[in-house]
Order: sequence, then C-alpha cells, then structure tokens
Amino acid sequence: MPRALVLFAHPVPESLGAAAHDVVVEALQTRGWEVDDCDLNAERFDPVMTAQERRNYHDTAINAAPVQPYVDRLRSADAVVFCFPVWNFGYPAILKGWFDRVMLPGVVFTIAHGKLAPCLDNVRKIAAVTTYGSTPWRAFLAGDPPKRLLKRAVWGTVRPDKIRYIAQYDMNNITPDRCEAFLARVRKEMEVF
Amino acid sequence: MTRALVVYCHPQEGSFAAAVRKVVVSRLRAAQSEIRVRDLYAEGFQPLLTQAEWSGYLDAPANRAPVESHVADLEWCDTLIFIYPTWWYGLPAMLKGWLDRVLLPDVAFLMPKAAGETIRPGLHHITRMGVFTTCGASWWLTRLVGAPGRRTLMRGVGFLLKPRAKKVFAATYLMDSATPEALARHLQRVAAKTDRLIGASAAPEMERAPAE
Repeated sequence: MPRALVLFAHPVPESLGAAAHDVVVEALQTRGWEVDDCDLNAERFDPVMTAQERRNYHDTAINAAPVQPYVDRLRSADAVVFCFPVWNFGYPAILKGWFDRVMLPGVVFTIAHGKLAPCLDNVRKIAAVTTYGSTPWRAFLAGDPPKRLLKRAVWGTVRPDKIRYIAQYDMNNITPDRCEAFLARVRKEMEVF
Repeated sequence: MTRALVVYCHPQEGSFAAAVRKVVVSRLRAAQSEIRVRDLYAEGFQPLLTQAEWSGYLDAPANRAPVESHVADLEWCDTLIFIYPTWWYGLPAMLKGWLDRVLLPDVAFLMPKAAGETIRPGLHHITRMGVFTTCGASWWLTRLVGAPGRRTLMRGVGFLLKPRAKKVFAATYLMDSATPEALARHLQRVAAKTDRLIGASAAPEMERAPAE
C-alpha cells in the first residue's frame, strides 16, 4: 500500500485549511493510500533550529538525531502533501521549521564537491494544498515565494514524478460557494494523485 | 533622527551574521541613529502563532498583547533592518514566526472593510528597509529558485511600508566555502549599503571598498 505523509500546519480546527486537510486525508484513504497524518501543531513540533543543530548541520552522521522520528516518517513516504496557510507570503513558522530541521543534508540532498544532488528517492509525488489572504495578483507581484519554494526548490531537490500546487487565494472575500468549490478541487486532485 | 529597528536572527554566537550585525549597528551609530536590536534567539522568541492568537487575530488592539514590546518597537521605528541566514531559500522559522506574530492586523496592515476590498498597508511610518542575509547556495541557484526569502521581505513586507520606501539588500553566497577575503568584502558592502540606506556619507575607510 503506498504511503502518504500529510504535513498539516494550520493551528485552527475550524479553518478552511483544516477542512481541506480533512478532505486530503479522506480522499487519499479512499484511493488506497496509507496516510501518515502529521499535525505539526498538535504534535508540538519545535520549529527552531538550535545553535548545536546548526553546528552539526553538515555532519550527516549526527545531524538527523534531534528529529529522527520525522526523518523516518519522511523516508517511509511515497508521497508528501503539505497543507498550510500562507502568512506574510511564506509558510507558517512551524512548517518552515520542519524544512529547516528535517530536510537535511544526507536526508534530502547531498553536497559533494560543492554540488547538490538529490538523495530522497522514495518520495515520488508532492502536493501543496494552501490558502492565501492575498489576491492572486498581489501574490504574483510578490513573486509568490511559497509557490517558488515548492515548485522550484523542493522539486529541484527531490525530483518527484509529480508535483501539484493547489491554492485558494483572497480568503478575506471568500464566499461559501467558493469554499465548497475549493474543497471539491482538492478532493478531485487527491483522488487522481 | 533615524530610528532603526534591527531584527536579528541567528542561533550561534560568533557567526558571520553576528559580524554583519556589528557592522550595521556601528554604521547606524556613526550616523547618530537611535537603535533598537531584537536578537530573537537570545531572547527566546516563541515563533508559533497559536490557536488562541489566531482566534483573536482580528481583534485589535487586543491582538498585540502577546507581542506588545515587539509591536511597540515596530511602531517606534522608521527604519527596519533584517539580518539572518537564508535556510531553505527562505527565512529561518524563528524570523518567519516574528512576521507571523508581530505583523498583525491594525499594526502592519488594515483588513478589508467591505466586500471586494483587499488588505491595505499599515506601516507607512517606515520609510527605509534593509535586508542582509547569507546563503549556502550559489547566487545562480538562489536566482533560479527565485529567492523566496528575499521576496517575502523585499516585496511581501515591502508592500506594507510607505510607498517608494528606500530598500537595500545584500547577500553573500556559497557561505560554506567562502574565503575570508570574500567575507571581508561582503562586510564592506554591508557598511556601504547601510550608509546608503540611512543617507549617511561614507566613512573614510569605506571609500576604498571595491565597486560592486
């Protein structure tokens, strides 16, 4: 059974982001995925890289030790789905901290002779399901940093076969109909993921 | 007189970011600026926007209570400076959390008042922004990725400032294999950019800095 790691980074259960996360988990399970549902806030993930972790960052023998369970979960996943709100044109700190602390040299990439090479072979599919307060136009003007991080940096580092970015913009003016339409889009995407 | 808020984020004492901070603060001081430094790691800043904070997010002015002193600094300053290492092409979680928790509605931006409106800027008292960072990746790779961290600050936060606010950015690349000469050159560049930001004339030793 293929395994999907779902990283959920919204603190509020009644948010549209949380509803989208529920749809992701349910749709994947319906389609035969085994889901490792990781609610970073509920698990009280600590996003702050410490000075000691920074010192050991490039020492692949020991750098993963402080976050070993999270590294193991990433290594046993065939797909990763990120469910998060965009705040200030970036990921919430708790998700950015997961990148800082878990997406390590020796886990996701190697650096040999100054060259980056992918080394996380198991993850073949990646998706982001996200909500923006910003309008699409303003996000475009800002250069849409969270989208770039996923579609360029993560894509380039992991080299999955498939990557999807499913976003709802302009949350401050959203209508119930558009919420439903977004959730339907998320379900459809996840059913064919 | 310039009132500069320096938001500093690096976990290690003696890091190169600390050297950048020293240069920035000394240039600000030379220009007789008033300076406040927030060292997020040193003060153990808590970067998580909690469920309780999110539930009260729109409830101004009560929303500023959990980060009152940071909001006070932000409202006090006319010059905002960020110094941090770039991790995963972006801000360290600690600094991202500072944005999440301190750039609040009615502090940094105004929420839409009517249907169809969008968020409006709220930091019009800030007329200058400086962003100083260090990247492990090369310039080329950072550009290929699109420099998300730079965009989050220069554009995302930049939108909130006074229109046409003066902005400077300096980064050094390939940090992990940088030579001492390259790092020294970078510090000169940081000094020159800080001077340009606050409109100070270059100090004599800085005039020998090589052109960019």
